[in-house]
Amino acid sequence: MRVRSLSTVLFAIAISSLVPFFVQAEAESVTAESEKTEPPDDIKLLAQSAALPALTGKNPFILRESWWNGTIEPGKAKLIQAQLFRRNEYQFWFAVPSVDAGLNLNIYNGEGELVPSETISYDATNVVSARLAPELTGIYYIRISLKTTVKDSQDWAVIYGYR
Amino acid sequence: MNKAALLILLVGCLPLASAQDAPATIDLSDPDLVFVDESIIPIPLEIFASLDKLGAQDWGQQLESREIRLDTNRSRTAMLFGLVVSEGFIAVQAKDKEAVRGIGRDVLKLAGSLGVPGSVEVHANSIVTSAGRGDWPTVRQELDRTRQTVLDKMKELRDDELVDLVSLGGWLGGTEALASALKSNYSEEGSDLLNQPELVKQLKKAFNELPRRSKRGKVFVQVSKTLDHLESLMRTDDTGAISQGNVIEISLATSNLVNSIYES
Repeated sequence: MRVRSLSTVLFAIAISSLVPFFVQAEAESVTAESEKTEPPDDIKLLAQSAALPALTGKNPFILRESWWNGTIEPGKAKLIQAQLFRRNEYQFWFAVPSVDAGLNLNIYNGEGELVPSETISYDATNVVSARLAPELTGIYYIRISLKTTVKDSQDWAVIYGYR
Repeated sequence: MNKAALLILLVGCLPLASAQDAPATIDLSDPDLVFVDESIIPIPLEIFASLDKLGAQDWGQQLESREIRLDTNRSRTAMLFGLVVSEGFIAVQAKDKEAVRGIGRDVLKLAGSLGVPGSVEVHANSIVTSAGRGDWPTVRQELDRTRQTVLDKMKELRDDELVDLVSLGGWLGGTEALASALKSNYSEEGSDLLNQPELVKQLKKAFNELPRRSKRGKVFVQVSKTLDHLESLMRTDDTGAISQGNVIEISLATSNLVNSIYES
């Protein structure tokens, strides 16, 4: 994959872009600990950091500012409805805070049939991504699920980009 | 979040391809399925990006200079806000600096009327200055941020009905431009971009569920009727296309509604 060959440079960009976040994360750790939940924006940031390589280069994805979030239980799945357009390519990123989490992200068409997509996983299992070029314009369902590698429910974020 | 978790994530930023198990089909009528309530309405640029792949369009032709007259009806203002932002996306696609600058100013005016000027100011200023530099990716990003910031602020202020109306206005403006572009330069292949019956159904449901106080004024009767009409028009036929006749009707219906919102 082309992204892999760029990864060293992009990794450096990812780190530099997240430096302020380290400081912020440190400052917010007390709040997060006491509330026992991860602020949703931090989880979105996890997804965004994984997305970074796809948002640069000659043919980058354009990240939407809108995103989905919620809470999911281990062993359960949720469906997100999205209108996609033929000839575009889309990439979705799904993230949860626990580094022990295992995730699935699959895409179905309006008939409930699994559509071919390229799944991209990372060394860290708490982020997963899928890329597809829809054959038809219409409604699609993004199915997210949390494996039973963790016991606790997880807050989650899904972001997407198009090109 | 602790540093260790972040470091593990960062180290894990190198993607690896892998296959995953997933059911081949899902029964969408299964009552046990859990759907996420939140809908994300596609921005016009998402749709224009697809149409442009069929050949360059004259997006400048779709820009209309309309005067904004504010009144005390916040629901109408919310729809106008969505419409103006969608007009901004058209101006970005047309790379029209003057139009974008004017839209940046309109965005501020409308945000003020909606009671969220502070949250939008930084984005609106960035829209104006970035347009001056011809930095279109930044203008595009700031427009999307403006839209999202207003939606987030309204949710925070528990103005949920206005959130739906901003989204509806944005979708309407984009659909008007798309239908007009297709009307001028019809192709069966491009017409499928208007295949959005489920999205119209969602928008209609959200609109119908709004409290009556949020739909005061004749224009909201027209919104309801137009959505009903569009739901039947915005679906592909057996050939996978939307007929030229239907495209013209969609263009007329959306244009009439947009004019009514501006003029009411």
